[in-house]
Amino acid sequence: MPTVIDAHNISKTYNPETIPVPAIRQVHLHIESGEFTALVGPSGSGKTTLLNLIGGLDKPDTGNIVIAGQDITRLGNASLNKFRMQNIGFIFQSFNLIPVLTARENAEFIMLLQGWPKRKREERIQQLFAEIGLTVKMDVRPGKLSGGQQQRVAVARALATKPQFILADEPTANLDSVSASHLLDLMHRLNQEEHITFIFSTHDQRVIDRARRVITLVDGQIASDTSQVSTEHRQIAE
Amino acid sequence: MLILTIAWRNVWRNGWRSAVIMLSVAIGLLAGTLVLALYKGMMNSRVQTVIRCETAHLQLHHPAFREEYDVRYFIPGLDTVLHLLRQHPAVREIATRSIVQGMLVSTTGSAGVSIIGIEAEKEKTVSSLQQKLKTEDVSKFKKNQILIGKKLADKLNIEKKHKVVLTFTDSAGNLVSAAFRTAAIYQSDNSSYDEQHVFVQGEALNELLLTNGQAHELAILLHHDDSADSMKQALAKRLPQLRVSDWQDLSPETHLLVVTVDYYSLIIMGIILTALAFGILNTMLMAILERSRELSMMLALGTSRQRMLGIVFMETVFLTTSGAPFGLVAAWLIVYYFNVQGLDLSSMGEEMLSSFGFSRIVYPEFPYEKIPDILLLVVLTALLAGIIPAVRALRLRPAENLKM
Repeated sequence: MPTVIDAHNISKTYNPETIPVPAIRQVHLHIESGEFTALVGPSGSGKTTLLNLIGGLDKPDTGNIVIAGQDITRLGNASLNKFRMQNIGFIFQSFNLIPVLTARENAEFIMLLQGWPKRKREERIQQLFAEIGLTVKMDVRPGKLSGGQQQRVAVARALATKPQFILADEPTANLDSVSASHLLDLMHRLNQEEHITFIFSTHDQRVIDRARRVITLVDGQIASDTSQVSTEHRQIAE
Repeated sequence: MLILTIAWRNVWRNGWRSAVIMLSVAIGLLAGTLVLALYKGMMNSRVQTVIRCETAHLQLHHPAFREEYDVRYFIPGLDTVLHLLRQHPAVREIATRSIVQGMLVSTTGSAGVSIIGIEAEKEKTVSSLQQKLKTEDVSKFKKNQILIGKKLADKLNIEKKHKVVLTFTDSAGNLVSAAFRTAAIYQSDNSSYDEQHVFVQGEALNELLLTNGQAHELAILLHHDDSADSMKQALAKRLPQLRVSDWQDLSPETHLLVVTVDYYSLIIMGIILTALAFGILNTMLMAILERSRELSMMLALGTSRQRMLGIVFMETVFLTTSGAPFGLVAAWLIVYYFNVQGLDLSSMGEEMLSSFGFSRIVYPEFPYEKIPDILLLVVLTALLAGIIPAVRALRLRPAENLKM
């Protein structure tokens, strides 16, 4: 499978000049297309920092991160903005939809930034809302949607422009068990059927159980990494 | 379109807060526009006073007359000039005047005055001398009579039928004195003018000046104020031997006043809007602070800096300009009322207003011509007020504001 993310020897320390807090230490990470990977670990282990780094929201102090053949640590702010828009989908813990836009407009947001023509946008939106099962709520604003529905709209927004991979930070943390289960089903189905690469940080055991690869971070370092093959062996054994 | 949609809807996210800002802008514009309307009414009234009472639209003189006020500098070829002017369709009325600088002596004192010899019937139509006289009929004005301004009459204790003596130099260089009886006391809106000008019959003055059949000044009243400029140009070309002056040349202090007040009124509007800008700035900073997660998310998704600036600036512009129509409409309604009813400023001091050439009743006029300037100032205010919030929005760091 083609490589999506190749992070080499990345480190990140917060407050380097006052009270240095090492968040990530010499991490090597290789993610291939179609993976369904969970980043786990205790609070403060560096999951969020690692997601920020591979999502281009922050820059490492050392090392480089190559995504789809492009070293994103060498990009300036404007180029990095554009790169994120074109290659990375984000799902946030608190949904983070734009409250003044309807569900449809939120999902369309990145397509509008990329300048998609109206007809193409409309087709894609219809397809996405059919997939997330929210066709009847397309013209409703986020405030009138449940948490689960909002997170599904966030998934639609992340998927809209078919990015290289999707980063999800604790996507089920603010959801009840039924909504969380529906969301996991949706993400799993998209991964299985459309080979969309998902990388998420989580504490949720249900998410960890369904991940095909689990990377455990402790004190900013990868403590364990179950490869795809070993996970499959584990599933067969179960 | 995306920027406009988000910016417009953001304005209404906190309706009360936005309404307060819009109300502030509306009240600010209402106050500023009322000041402009009042100034415009006062200035137009002043200009009309100058045109109707003092200068008419245009005046023709010998080129050297206004430099020295020498009575020998009368208008050459008067009949030809009058004939030419009477043919012109833009000309409504023409009055000829003989003018000499002299001394008026009464039993109680003396004063330097401009003595103006008029044709009573013509003067009635060109200047508002008749209105200044109130009860007396200017056409019954006799050859040995004089009209004196109220301020001068008060100063020298002159009353109707009192005798006064005028002393001046005739065209031959002789000192001439002549007695006149006061026919009436006139009063205009400009007490300074009233103090410095007296009127006698033109024929009588010409006899004394030895300038029979001549005039030093032709006052021309046009059908429309707007045609004064073009008419001035046309006459200057047609009559190169004469100096053609409009009210701005003849009353430069009034022209300066109009221009200055015009300028000041925009400064006043600018000050009002600058004060409003701080309120708008505060509101926008609060909005950016409250929405830091949302804006960070938009940056994380790849919204460019230009688009982010666009959203913040457009929101500020919408917030600011939305109140503008209410302020302007309210101002229009108030101005309309006072334009019909008039605004009595007597309480400010009738004497003081008169000494500056202003009427005590002002008819404010809506400053239509300044509306584009006002709207431009409003938009500029919004853009200036949006700079700091926009910079704050651009400085947001998604990694710090989003739990990602």
